[in-house]
Amino acid sequence: MPAALLILVMSFIPMAQAFILSLQTGRGANFTFAEPLWSNYTRLFEDEIFKLTLQNTFIYLLIQVPIMLIVALVLASVLNSKNLKFKSFWRTAIFLPCAVSLVAYSLVFRTIFANDGFVNDLLLGLSLIDAPINWLGDPTTARFVIILGLLWRWTGYNMVFYLAALQNIDHSTIEAAKVDGANAFKTFWFVTVPQLKPMILLTAIMSTNGTLQLFDESWALTRGGPAYQTMSMSHYLFEVSFLKNPNFGYASALSYVILILVAILAFIQLKVGDKRD
Amino acid sequence: MAVSATNSSRDVLDSRLLPGDQLFENFAKLIGVQDLGSAMWNSFSVAVGTTVLALVVCSIAGYAFEIFHSRGKDFVMAILLLAIMIPFAATMVPLFRLFAEVGLVNSLAAVIIPAISTPFLILLFRQASRSFPYEIIEAARIDGVSEVGIFARIYLPSMRSTMAAAAVITFMTAWNNFLWPKVILVNNAFQTMPMLISNLAAGYVTDYGVLMLAVLLASLPTMVIFLILQRTFAEGITGAIK
Amino acid sequence: MHAFSKKVTMAVAVALPLTLALGACSAGGGGGGGGAGGDENTLTAWAWDPTFNINALEEAEKVYQEDHPDFELEIVETPWEDLEPKLTTLAQSQQFGELPDIFLMQNNAFQKNGVNYPDLFSEIDTDAVDFSQFPEAVTAYSTVDGVNYGVPFDNGTAIQALRTDVLEEAGYTIDDFTDITWDQFITQAEDVLAKTGMPLLSGQAGAADTVMMILQSAGASLFDDEGNPTIDDNPALDEAIDIYTRLVDSGVFVEVNSWDEYLGTFVNGSVAGTINGIWIVGSIQGAEDQAGKWAATNLPRAEGIDGATQFSANGGSSWVVSSNANVDLATDFLATTFAGSTELYDTILPTSGAVANWIPAGGSSVYAEPNEFFGGQPIFADVVRFGAEVPSNNTGAYYYEGRDAVSAAITQIIGGADLKTALGEAQANVEFAME
Repeated sequence: MPAALLILVMSFIPMAQAFILSLQTGRGANFTFAEPLWSNYTRLFEDEIFKLTLQNTFIYLLIQVPIMLIVALVLASVLNSKNLKFKSFWRTAIFLPCAVSLVAYSLVFRTIFANDGFVNDLLLGLSLIDAPINWLGDPTTARFVIILGLLWRWTGYNMVFYLAALQNIDHSTIEAAKVDGANAFKTFWFVTVPQLKPMILLTAIMSTNGTLQLFDESWALTRGGPAYQTMSMSHYLFEVSFLKNPNFGYASALSYVILILVAILAFIQLKVGDKRD
Repeated sequence: MAVSATNSSRDVLDSRLLPGDQLFENFAKLIGVQDLGSAMWNSFSVAVGTTVLALVVCSIAGYAFEIFHSRGKDFVMAILLLAIMIPFAATMVPLFRLFAEVGLVNSLAAVIIPAISTPFLILLFRQASRSFPYEIIEAARIDGVSEVGIFARIYLPSMRSTMAAAAVITFMTAWNNFLWPKVILVNNAFQTMPMLISNLAAGYVTDYGVLMLAVLLASLPTMVIFLILQRTFAEGITGAIK
Repeated sequence: MHAFSKKVTMAVAVALPLTLALGACSAGGGGGGGGAGGDENTLTAWAWDPTFNINALEEAEKVYQEDHPDFELEIVETPWEDLEPKLTTLAQSQQFGELPDIFLMQNNAFQKNGVNYPDLFSEIDTDAVDFSQFPEAVTAYSTVDGVNYGVPFDNGTAIQALRTDVLEEAGYTIDDFTDITWDQFITQAEDVLAKTGMPLLSGQAGAADTVMMILQSAGASLFDDEGNPTIDDNPALDEAIDIYTRLVDSGVFVEVNSWDEYLGTFVNGSVAGTINGIWIVGSIQGAEDQAGKWAATNLPRAEGIDGATQFSANGGSSWVVSSNANVDLATDFLATTFAGSTELYDTILPTSGAVANWIPAGGSSVYAEPNEFFGGQPIFADVVRFGAEVPSNNTGAYYYEGRDAVSAAITQIIGGADLKTALGEAQANVEFAME
């Protein structure tokens, strides 16, 4: 297979090399096989910062992915309604965030959530809070801002997939449901959603993968701070590889843990997705 | 963002939300400091090159996966999925060594090639091919149409909308691709837009107005492509999930 | 037939895109990277700011061309954030042939790269470059195991820059903030805050810059001479963090969350001063309406730490001659320009604001010229004078690990955590990274 060959060269050779590397230790470019071989992996379990980043990443995953997919689904069905005007405008507007450069988006988000930023001004103005909230300085709110950023950026992307899938639903099934007296919500939940399941599965897997490899938001919005409380696994991986004293054996082991986690989650999602069919 | 592009650096730091009068001044500064035309052109060549080649390669792969029946296909598919999941930072060093050994460091080809074969695209094409009636191919074979002919004249035209969808996604990814180009390209002449933006923010003093203008310009092409293709795009992905 | 055409399809499919890709794009390959590959009068250099160090390189090229008319310098703009992963990737894949002749490196990164990837560097010949003409604190950054790997470029000497109009409103002058201790600073700054509502300092929350500057002002660091971390048993660090905590608690130091916000605080006039490396002046001068209202002086002294001075540094960078360089030409170029030309430093001070580390440069008339933005103070001559007195300290190969761990600890301490516990954790994290 042509593409398979390219992937072989471009992905698997490096992947295999990375795996071998993950069994090795050494600073700089001098490597020897670790003793025992899996010591980089056991080291991960003793790494407090890694555990923290793992926890952060899973918080993002568990909160952000479901919300994002549901919002995307709802947006898609709203934008699919026949009597909505300027459909292409809305579609483009909602897709737009993921075309926007990270530099701009992070600067805007940081400005909005600054101590004297727009959000605090608004909340103060509405007398909802008495003192400005230090959004990016507190672990809980900083994670909240990151999740919000993720939602803003990727909801439109997923919506487009749903929107496309919606065009494909047999309209007669919805009509039939209406005739049977189902309200809009019931129709949506019992008729539309099941037909979208293959696409929901695909986006769920892709989003899980995207979240576990999350780097941009952690890097650009908070630099992982305060005190590693918002740092993602991939951000930590990047630090270990390039910013700190490079330890590529350890970094490779870290990558493989991310890979295995994604694979397990994708496998579970596939199983669950299949069962309902 | 659009507003910031018209303001001076000072006003951007002030988080001013009204349009300013600095647009032309910022533009003049931008082209004064950076080779905007060349960066745009490089980004464009990379994005278009990647998109075209990726579509060719991945559509063939998707077609092959679905039409030819071979053992172990599902296994290969699973491996393909795995390839999406490995973090890039881990494969970057081996990949770099690979390109250095074939002497392709510092060329646009080095940016394009790794991006051509995207497992996600192959999946998309493969899913789209699912709905493609196999009987048509059988019939064509009986009529003596060559395999290439079937692919080019029968299969591809029916995949037009999937193509459009894949094009937008690939174009966007290639356009925004950042970490790899900055590692593999070591010459100003090959600078891409994301690299130009990173240059603007590199110094002790950053002109935020100019930075925002560059960012705005960098986002335009993806928006335009989306706007043009979005109608087909929506239909295209529909085909993919049947 | 079927099987055959299948194979053909495959073959074409494999060959076509590859040939296309290679043919279309490889034409441009091999241009910039290899320093040694170029002709004998050309050097390649990586640096990152067109208005700053690239401008300095261009001027240095002109200076060198006076005696070497055939000389040419090819400058590739590479931000430090990109340059660092690039160096790591090159070294890690052992592709040293892709290095330029000269590249610029952050002073704090020297120990780390020197220890991990000595193959990136060429030793700088001490016969060609007279390192005694640079402050010892600066050359110490780029000296690894007694070998010099860098020619110092821009000055990271710290200044205390304050708004004189705000001070005046509260009844103070810049002299009241000169040669003082941190205790005096806090008392006076509280007074200024009470009278004018203006805090004097700001900084990024969770950034250790201020604490690191206090440490260096006493020649202290996070590591002992053997390079072992001394975070959990370091009276100087305890004291520095105590000063920082008091600054924040008293409200005279405002913590913000990002670099842009930090710049915003004094550019927008919500904070009336800052303490940082001299390069911060570029951003301060961005606020044109504040011209004439600033003054700069030395830092407060941390009385509680042995050997405390009024001088420190933050940042700065040095030129590296790579292992792939035309070493003789590159060394001679740096020796005649950045380590030997008053003319060069006199030119780049006004054009790029790059302040010399090279001590002879500070004596020139250009440096002694009054700076209007700073109320006529000859700020750059002052800074070069300060620079010579900065105590040197041991950054250590694990500087970034140490700094990050301490940053995290500071965040926790400001948030109310116990100092000993937080620093113990930081120590453990650094030790873990060093295993």
